[in-house]
Amino acid sequence: MSRLSLMLDLERCIGCKSCEAACKQEHGLGPGEFRNRVVWLGDENEAALDFLTVTCQHCERPACLRACPVNPKAISKDPETGVVSVDESLCTGCGECVTACPYGAMGYDPRGHHAVKCDLCSDRRSEGLGPACASVCPGRAISFGERSDHLAQAEAEGRMVRDHDSFLLGPATVYLDRIGETSNAAALPERRRPAVVDPPEAQTAFEKNGAAFPYGLPREDRKPDRVVPGSCTLCFNSCSVKFHFAGEKLVKVTGNDEDPILEGRVCPKSQHTLQMYHNDRRLTQPLKRVGARGEGKFKPISWEQAFTEIAAKIGPLRESEPEALGIFAGTRTGMITIRGFIRLFGQMWGTPNVETTDPFCAAGKNLTYQLTHGANGCGNSYTDDDIGSAGMYLYIGDNQAETRPVYFGMVNNWRVKNRTPMVVVDPRFSATASKADRWHAIRPGTDMALGMAMAQHILANDLHDKRYCEDWVEGWERWRDFLDEEGYTPDWAAGITDISAEDIRRLAEEVATADGCVIFCSRGVNQHTNSAQTNRVLMFLAAITGNWGRKGGAYMNMSFAPELWANAPEQRRAEIRKPKIRKSPAGWTEAMIQGKPYSLKALIAGNNPMAQWPNQERTREAFKALDLLVHIDLFQNETSAFADYVLPAAPAIEAGDIGRACDDRRIVWVDRMIDPPGEAKPDSWIWTELGKRFGFDDVMKDEYKDTALFWDQEMINHPTMNGVTQKRLHSTPYRWVRFPVTSETADEQETLFLEGTTAAGAPDGFRFNTQNGKLQFWTEELDAKFRTMGLSALPSFYSEREQLIDLPYVQIEEGDDADGIVSPFYPNTLAVPGRIVSPNEETPGRKLRREGYDMELVTGRPPAPHFHSWTHYFWQSQEMWPDLYAQIHPDKAATLWLEDGDRVRIETSHGDIEARAWITPGIRRSSIFVPIGWGEKQPYHPWRSVNFMTDKTQRDPISDQTNLKTLLCRVAKV
Amino acid sequence: MHRPDLDNRRLTLLVGATVAAIALYFVVLPRMPEAWRTPGSPELYLMGVTGAVLLLTAASFSIAKRGRGLGSPVAWFAAHVNLACLGSLCIAIHSVGYMRRPPALLILALLGLAALGVWARIWGAKRMAATLGTKRPGFAAPDPALRARLQALIEQKRDLLTRLDPSAEEALFSPNLSHWLGHPLLALAYLRLVREEEALIGVRESVGRAQAWWRAAHLALAGLFVIGLVIHVVTVTFFAGYVADGGEIYWWHLTKW
Repeated sequence: MSRLSLMLDLERCIGCKSCEAACKQEHGLGPGEFRNRVVWLGDENEAALDFLTVTCQHCERPACLRACPVNPKAISKDPETGVVSVDESLCTGCGECVTACPYGAMGYDPRGHHAVKCDLCSDRRSEGLGPACASVCPGRAISFGERSDHLAQAEAEGRMVRDHDSFLLGPATVYLDRIGETSNAAALPERRRPAVVDPPEAQTAFEKNGAAFPYGLPREDRKPDRVVPGSCTLCFNSCSVKFHFAGEKLVKVTGNDEDPILEGRVCPKSQHTLQMYHNDRRLTQPLKRVGARGEGKFKPISWEQAFTEIAAKIGPLRESEPEALGIFAGTRTGMITIRGFIRLFGQMWGTPNVETTDPFCAAGKNLTYQLTHGANGCGNSYTDDDIGSAGMYLYIGDNQAETRPVYFGMVNNWRVKNRTPMVVVDPRFSATASKADRWHAIRPGTDMALGMAMAQHILANDLHDKRYCEDWVEGWERWRDFLDEEGYTPDWAAGITDISAEDIRRLAEEVATADGCVIFCSRGVNQHTNSAQTNRVLMFLAAITGNWGRKGGAYMNMSFAPELWANAPEQRRAEIRKPKIRKSPAGWTEAMIQGKPYSLKALIAGNNPMAQWPNQERTREAFKALDLLVHIDLFQNETSAFADYVLPAAPAIEAGDIGRACDDRRIVWVDRMIDPPGEAKPDSWIWTELGKRFGFDDVMKDEYKDTALFWDQEMINHPTMNGVTQKRLHSTPYRWVRFPVTSETADEQETLFLEGTTAAGAPDGFRFNTQNGKLQFWTEELDAKFRTMGLSALPSFYSEREQLIDLPYVQIEEGDDADGIVSPFYPNTLAVPGRIVSPNEETPGRKLRREGYDMELVTGRPPAPHFHSWTHYFWQSQEMWPDLYAQIHPDKAATLWLEDGDRVRIETSHGDIEARAWITPGIRRSSIFVPIGWGEKQPYHPWRSVNFMTDKTQRDPISDQTNLKTLLCRVAKV
Repeated sequence: MHRPDLDNRRLTLLVGATVAAIALYFVVLPRMPEAWRTPGSPELYLMGVTGAVLLLTAASFSIAKRGRGLGSPVAWFAAHVNLACLGSLCIAIHSVGYMRRPPALLILALLGLAALGVWARIWGAKRMAATLGTKRPGFAAPDPALRARLQALIEQKRDLLTRLDPSAEEALFSPNLSHWLGHPLLALAYLRLVREEEALIGVRESVGRAQAWWRAAHLALAGLFVIGLVIHVVTVTFFAGYVADGGEIYWWHLTKW
């Protein structure tokens, strides 16, 4: 047999660390113990980001082996395969091998005191499997096999193999260099590891707070005897996974290798969910507050007592003012609970004030997808024939490599394989940007200007898809003329966006001439006061270039929300007496504090609003004013501390649920597989039991605690979902069905809205779900709605009110205490119109600049191992990314005498927080980026939420989306 | 597989108990009988001999792990620590805290050995664990001149190996106990080449100083301790007059030189 080895592709690696997670999981490694590591490497002088996977090189002359002083040696080399392995029973832990390896590839168990190292998963190989790291890699950056085959493949693909045999050790591991690097003098070794990534000092927290099962357990105790397919329920990638059990204990979570699309790819956090199911910090019984709000003092009570007392407190509201009860759900709560149990409860209770995290994340795009084509999202799929066949990938405000790493791994794989151009527009050089051909560091909040200028250039130069526009777009000429009249040209946009007119024109021409361009957008576009209009502009851009309803061309703003809704019978629904206070829960705070526009007295939160809602100071004031706060969650967090009752919930495999709404319309089912810990209960159980106290059990039936039954009977009544039955979901080894499927036997559709097809649920021949089957740019009816809210259906440019240059911004006419009007965009929901204001002396931005607020704060998602707050309870996610960080440009850092890793205070006019500085040229000189998800009650590395700095009053008059992406701030060294 | 590791908790307890026992001894020392306050008394003489035997046995771990078939190296390590703690306690008692004569250097050496050992096990282990992924030179563009020098060194090693151990393969070889006993000079010559290769690669520079050198320092200090111990035994046994320096010779000895 030839030498076995891994081949690591630096171009395909996206730095997600899934391989680290897989390795730790496979080998039961604990904190600080590694057999492989993905090293993030930046540069001090240029925007650069490389990911170097360090693992054993299985050298011909292994320095580690020769350094081992024990006889017989604790390290040996297989003469046939060349695999170098360590016999831990012989190792005395002297560490000479660790010192000797010039690749820094030897691991060490700091608790067991012995060397550990990659042996290419000898146990898995003996079962005919490959190494765990290669099996999960989202980017297919790791492949396993015979070294000679790797070299042949590299040559066939024209890839350069890095010569890293500096010391004549004969490393077997093959590294494929970045494409475009012409020599081995590539800068990789000179790159710098940011201080906030994998800091060794973070380990102290795990020594104090421990690590959970099954790490450190012998392999035989982790050997699964049954495997159940299901879904990860953390993020919008909705990855199919396999849950491995030893008896009743979950011992492993892996990607589902039987999934024909994802093929076992999975990111680290899916694997880390093992630490959600085995976690000493899980809430295991109902708690009642005994201290002051925020103090966090509770006593355990029974479920009976909890329900009785909660019912006694909210019961009187039901008669007199049912709308005074608010319900907030989101990420953690689960799709079936949100769209099933909570919806039924809300309908029978009679409150309009039920909302999710949508207005903080995606309301702008959800609404405008509906306005433009009558459906909730993009109709394309991550397949070779569809997104894989695109002629160009353009990312605007979407760091997909870290937010949906498995999808991005696939896109990046196609990019490398097909040499597809990729351009990223983002204020910072994200992991996504690190793979792109070009990065445009746009001024945050100005994506609308970029889109307008690109469209103007395309239309003015006849580069648009004329037949498509004529046949399928309503009002495109009007928009074309409007762009010209307003002068929204590349030259105009250059000064606004900080992207040169030449680059804008080039980008526009590339999009227009590509044989299919997928325009990816996400929170960078959504989380603005111009969210709806920016989304529309970019949708229009995709449409006029024909990239809508074709394979390899799309406007993809992440996740297609399925039409999953349980509905109580009409006669069982309570009358809704008043409109919803606001679409955004951020607009509910004045109802809690001032009782305006009417009182909101009680809130049931199935999520963590004390980390998520903007303007945390005001949010906390509001929550203190509530008569009752009930918090349903897995862990005690910031919200629990303010709650009167804390109810212990149960996620996914303890409940039975589906994965989150994802980009490509897969509904992934997850069975209830194990019981929750202690007295914890699934959300479905909690809402059903609470409903019983009010006589809702004729609709919220006891048998519906079985979510599979509830699913079939109540959740899939929409025509697009009729076929997504339990039977069909369980008919495949990967447990998913791609909607729309109108019946159990209907075929799934890879790409929706293709020419010649009829949209699901639309009249025959209607390509899109709109009134006339065409995309809607401008209609009189649409314009009337926009004008009601102070804007126009033909988007005029405006940005945020806190900017470093004077730009028009939107001013909401009244505060959240005002009655407002009923929004034309959301049924029975109060809203306040806005107006576009030209900058003047009183412009908030100008005043703040005079006060020394000299930087743009951009918030966003952290790297792949984290998602919102719950991953911060997983020690392994925290080990990878422990501290809240602030990315800051070296030029700015120099003026503050900052060193990488220093503690900084970031202050907006709304509040301040501290974080650790990550000094990188990969961000605009004037911007600072701080990720979301950290909170002050988290167990390992607590930091204040970034939402202490955000502002709840800066919202989009159309979608009520909050601006979380552009706020003026100042920074100081702590 | 069972691995008889001495975990940090047990190590801390063991070392703590040893320190506590020594401290307790010095607290009660003034109230002890005269014989227990006199280093050369029969009681403390025996204590010294016991301590020396225990420590030499502990030190033999270094030899045992290099010799094939001498037992589990991990068990030897546990014995190394246990015997060293017990031996140190005996030596401390033997010394009665008398620190103004040269044998006190042996006590200092013991302290140094203990400190290095505990550091390596508790704190050094964390640095070793954190080393993975921190070395970049291995991934740098190769330097042809360096590779040529290394190639020459490898040839020298291979040449030497034909005399030291003809059946061995340079790629996997380092001298063990049998080589040191059978061909000490060749083994030493080979070791020099190994060190030269390490220097060219920059092995010790690739990690922090403490991590790079703690073991060398531990071994050197252990060597000095053994030499000092031998000197001490020889002087009190054969040069009792010199040791007594005009005073009474009250310990067992062979000559009064």
